[in-house]
Amino acid sequence: MADPQLKEKVEELIAANPVLLFMKGTPEMPRCGFSMRVVQVLDSMDVEYGAVDVLPALQPLREVTAEISDWQTFPQLYVNGELVGGADLVEEMFDSGELAEALGVEQPEAAAQAGAPAQSPPLQIDGS
Amino acid sequence: MIEAALPGAEVEVLDQTGTLDHLEAKVVAPQFEGLSRIDQHRMVKAAVKERFDDGQIHALSIMTEVAG
Repeated sequence: MADPQLKEKVEELIAANPVLLFMKGTPEMPRCGFSMRVVQVLDSMDVEYGAVDVLPALQPLREVTAEISDWQTFPQLYVNGELVGGADLVEEMFDSGELAEALGVEQPEAAAQAGAPAQSPPLQIDGS
Repeated sequence: MIEAALPGAEVEVLDQTGTLDHLEAKVVAPQFEGLSRIDQHRMVKAAVKERFDDGQIHALSIMTEVAG
């Protein structure tokens, strides 16, 4: 059972921000490769968005988003109050142009390159 | 686990880091027919929730496709 006060706060944030990202870390300093991928997509699209660092209250926020959106992992991108998805879905929808459409912005040129990481995600070891 | 939850699904799981806790799953299932992609992802996540809860999996990339 999620904390009702926290849930109310999260619902207010989602309602108040047309584009809202729940992420690990901050857009300037993402603390997770998945969160970083979503930040890179949003930054490449020149769109204003709110960002909430979930790390200080990770477990309580998981319980809240499980109730709100049936989704417990972060990052989570909300557009106009609806959960778009985590990193995989955000990238898929960016590549297909659906994300630009949902955000009401032009699809950036050279979308494929823009989605590529500027640097390797931290602490990823190549297992192949 | 995914196959048990989605009978008839084709599942391919890749170990991204060699540590068996950062996984990538490609799932092609007839059950996805008519579902939005976000609901398809919800189904896959629900199938592996136990492994997230017990900490065996830390991260999972998901790609879904409707079996045709």
